[in-house]
Amino acid sequence: MNTHEQEAIFRRWLDAHVGLMLKIVRGCAATPADQDDLFQDVLLQLWSSIPAFRGDAKETTWIYRVAFNTALAWRRGERRRRIGQETLVKYDPAPTSHPGHADALSEPEMVAQLYTAIRELPKLDASLALMHLDGLSYQEMAEVLGISVNHVGVKLNRIRRQLAEKLKGVRNEL
Amino acid sequence: MNFDDYQKAWQAQDSRPSVALNADALLEEVRRKQQGFRRMIFWRDVREVGVAAVLVPVFIHSGLTVSWTLHLAAFGCFVVGADMVLDRRRQKRKTPDVHASLKEWAATSLAEVNHQIWLLQNILWNYLLPLGVPLFLFFGWCAWSLPLPIPARVFSFLVLSGFVALVDVVLYWLNQYAVRKGLEPRRQELAELLRSIDPEQPGAGIKSGKPLGPLLLVVGVCITAVILHHFLNAQG
Repeated sequence: MNTHEQEAIFRRWLDAHVGLMLKIVRGCAATPADQDDLFQDVLLQLWSSIPAFRGDAKETTWIYRVAFNTALAWRRGERRRRIGQETLVKYDPAPTSHPGHADALSEPEMVAQLYTAIRELPKLDASLALMHLDGLSYQEMAEVLGISVNHVGVKLNRIRRQLAEKLKGVRNEL
Repeated sequence: MNFDDYQKAWQAQDSRPSVALNADALLEEVRRKQQGFRRMIFWRDVREVGVAAVLVPVFIHSGLTVSWTLHLAAFGCFVVGADMVLDRRRQKRKTPDVHASLKEWAATSLAEVNHQIWLLQNILWNYLLPLGVPLFLFFGWCAWSLPLPIPARVFSFLVLSGFVALVDVVLYWLNQYAVRKGLEPRRQELAELLRSIDPEQPGAGIKSGKPLGPLLLVVGVCITAVILHHFLNAQG
């Protein structure tokens, strides 16, 4: 694969799937600085992975794998210095949650609460929760994680309960 | 309101949530970082092997002018450097693929961390003693050549060797500190992740054997060289 092809794929993925990447980044890193740091790492790994992409896996499966693996390898304490660096991606920060106003939550606030709850989960569970919320099938989730479909089902039942528990302070009906 | 409402809210996030991308600059930055990463890996390798590569000719030259025993120090440096290069090449093939499934990635990463821990825990056998043994021999030769009574020669040997031993102790401690602070937490994190992915297939543990190859090679060559030297001197 030459550089032009790699660049074309990278641009296409960036255009089509940046939302997916940002969801994963926000689900794994809490502060905007950490999110920015992780997002750049994800992009770097994605760029490096393109020559190995043969189209056997779906693009989204590939991107989930790269992003999750990068997020798991990423450590807050090892942040590289980015002082004086131009901001290359500008996006509105995720809304903050207000647990006290359970019945009057807007969609962004519900999403913010989900992010907070997901970040409190163990890493594997957080990965599954993110994919489940995105509506991936059990088969797709199993492919990303390398586990059986049955295993995904068992884990998701528990994760839904855990998420419900964490959100209980806000929504008792879950 | 139930989980599905939350899921709907989640999926209602704009697929491009108020994001402004400068694709050209971003691409340039990614390329720059990849080059920087490659440079970093290259210089890390150069740094690690470079010390040995610089010391080999230094010891060879010193062996010609000061004492033949320093040729053994050159050999020790060569063995350590070669061992580093071979290990790096072997491990390169086992580097985890970032696009592998999470289970594969975690298992390979755990094996990689385990190997790093094993290397650092055994730095005494891998690096310090193969370099130290020829130096102790050199100090022994220096002390023995001094026109002093035997107790004074022994004392000189202990002082000189003690300095090298002290440096080795500090290096050993620094490496064990790196294992405790950096690698061990990472290992536990990955092992826990693997257990959560597949409780019936826990990742491999750290190897228990000691890497005695370089040390045995250096000690063997040192003993042979001393015997040969003694034999040749006796011949005339």
